[in-house]
Amino acid sequence: MKKIILRLVKNPTSLIGILLLVAFVVVAAIAPILAPPPANSRDSYMIPRSGFGAAPTPPSEDHPMGTTEGQYDIYYGVIWGTRTAFRIGVVITFCTTLIGLLVGSLAAFYRGWPDELLMRITEIFQAFPFLLAAITLTSVLQTLYGRGGTGPLIAVAKVLAFFTFGHDPAKPLDPVQLQVLTGMIAIIGFGWMTYARVIRSNIMTVRDLDFATAARTIGARPLRILFRHLLPNAVFPVLVLASMDIGAYVLSFAALSFLGLGAQRGYADWGQMINFARNWIPSLATNWYIILYPGLAIVLFVLAWNLVGDALRDILDPRLTGSRA
Amino acid sequence: MLAYITRRLLIMPVLLVGVSMLIFAMMSLLTPYERAALYVQDIPKRPGAMDGIIAKYGLDDPIHVQYWHWMVGRKDAETGEIKGGVLRGDLGFSKVGKSPVATVIKRRLPATAELALWAALPMIGIGIWLGVWSAVKHNKPFDHVMRVFSIVGWSIPTFVFGLVVLMIFYARLGWFPPERLSEWALRAVQSDSFRSFTGMYSIDSLLNLRLDIFVDSLRHLILPVITLAYLNWAYMLRVTRSSMLETLRQDYMVTARSKGLEERHVISRHAVPNALVPVVTVGALMLIGLLNGVVITETIFNYPGMGSFLAQSALSLDVVSVLGVTLFSGVILIGGNLIVDVLYSFIDPRIRLQ
Repeated sequence: MKKIILRLVKNPTSLIGILLLVAFVVVAAIAPILAPPPANSRDSYMIPRSGFGAAPTPPSEDHPMGTTEGQYDIYYGVIWGTRTAFRIGVVITFCTTLIGLLVGSLAAFYRGWPDELLMRITEIFQAFPFLLAAITLTSVLQTLYGRGGTGPLIAVAKVLAFFTFGHDPAKPLDPVQLQVLTGMIAIIGFGWMTYARVIRSNIMTVRDLDFATAARTIGARPLRILFRHLLPNAVFPVLVLASMDIGAYVLSFAALSFLGLGAQRGYADWGQMINFARNWIPSLATNWYIILYPGLAIVLFVLAWNLVGDALRDILDPRLTGSRA
Repeated sequence: MLAYITRRLLIMPVLLVGVSMLIFAMMSLLTPYERAALYVQDIPKRPGAMDGIIAKYGLDDPIHVQYWHWMVGRKDAETGEIKGGVLRGDLGFSKVGKSPVATVIKRRLPATAELALWAALPMIGIGIWLGVWSAVKHNKPFDHVMRVFSIVGWSIPTFVFGLVVLMIFYARLGWFPPERLSEWALRAVQSDSFRSFTGMYSIDSLLNLRLDIFVDSLRHLILPVITLAYLNWAYMLRVTRSSMLETLRQDYMVTARSKGLEERHVISRHAVPNALVPVVTVGALMLIGLLNGVVITETIFNYPGMGSFLAQSALSLDVVSVLGVTLFSGVILIGGNLIVDVLYSFIDPRIRLQ
């Protein structure tokens, strides 16, 4: 572990990535200092508005990055959007890898027909283009949640609300948060398959290696073999690499938001802020600030994860060592 | 190899049924009222009309009965006409498109296909070319530039890239407008004298000998094509590069060189063909993956294809349309994957011999 971190820091590209990530963490942590929410705000993730004018206004003293249409402060949104990005990215990554881990290790452990069944289900989920499937599930869930009510899907939303926003499960769901959760559930629903497949095939490979055979020979119970031998060797690298997918998930969510299917209008979310720019395309030459700042925030955030992830892949995947320098 | 292909062919029906079930499972989360669009376009406004429709089409039936009717259609007791039925190509009615979903798909598919086809060639060609050179010039300045380019490119979301491109080339310079055709060209295309062959304007205009329309369609295509393709260039470059580096380290490269072959020959005849084997799969999957990019790209450029239709429908919660388009693309994807698998087993002797 220590060696891995040392190598990451020594590599200039991954060092840039790490520094960027640290910067984002700091911004997220001190968001209330950098952009204090107005005293009367109910939800600090809702960007404060100064007026209701339709046209965006260029950067000024009050609004260092200008305002979008509807006078949402871009600076505030970019700063608080950092928190949104981390929350969304971390929770989605955790949930997708957890599902992938369950499905993959069950399939590899039981083999035979459970394996066949689970892998076919995985393939069915993979049969759809990811973004299309996520959009579809979002629109179905929005219809469903729009009705309110109870049921397993509401329970899922409540659990996620607790982990993402620390929302008390006993209280009814907050509609603003629910809209973010809808997009997250859609991405999780169609995001777990690769992990399941990689974990399954890794366990299958490791299972026949000598140390696993040795453990079996000394009479270790199957579950002990799974937890003590197979998971650490076959799964740990996958999980470390998966953690780097946070950037990719933030990007997917931003795409949903951009289409108007993710966070609500005015929510501090980078994709949602760029959505505002869609009405101003012919005048973008003068209104450049409405895409520049939120756009830059997304690009840097995703880039940071990709830089670290790329270097980590070289370190963890010995097959490729040397081939990428 | 035969066993491999047979296995893939046998799995395909299972996948198709599974995909339809998954779509129907999402459909069944809707209320019977919302599902009515599967069979009827306009619901009469008078009170009680809805209950009649629900009863008539069995929208309250047990789920497996409904699934069956959704697949094969349901006979209208009064007129004897069969309505619905995915297998009959009836995906229900679209509120957004104001016509049957299948009709909207048929109308919009050529536009999306045109975009994807134009994007495919440069995407694969340039990506592979850059990747090969990057590997040949391993650790030289060109390689470093390409690595930075690919990882930065990979981090720019399509919608940011598309908007920036529009900002520069449309808002600032006014060179390339959004949408699919200029108004005058659109009128010409819709007139009776213009014969439609493929529905792809850039091809039809040539067949109709209308160079002006051809040029106009290219002017509209160039930005979305670049937007759709750039992400994939970056990815293609990475895949080709690492596959090429792997190949360059093989023993047969040393053999080829020690035979006294020219370096150019060694690269083009011995390294590239071998390195491209894995690239073929990635490239084919990427083509199918264009479907993802199409949603965003078409939305930004206001381009009337399947992707923008999906986005609009999702936004207006026209779930029947959304599910129809997704089912359609799922089926295309399964077919595409099958072709890729078969092709791959022909190209790669290691699979052929298994």
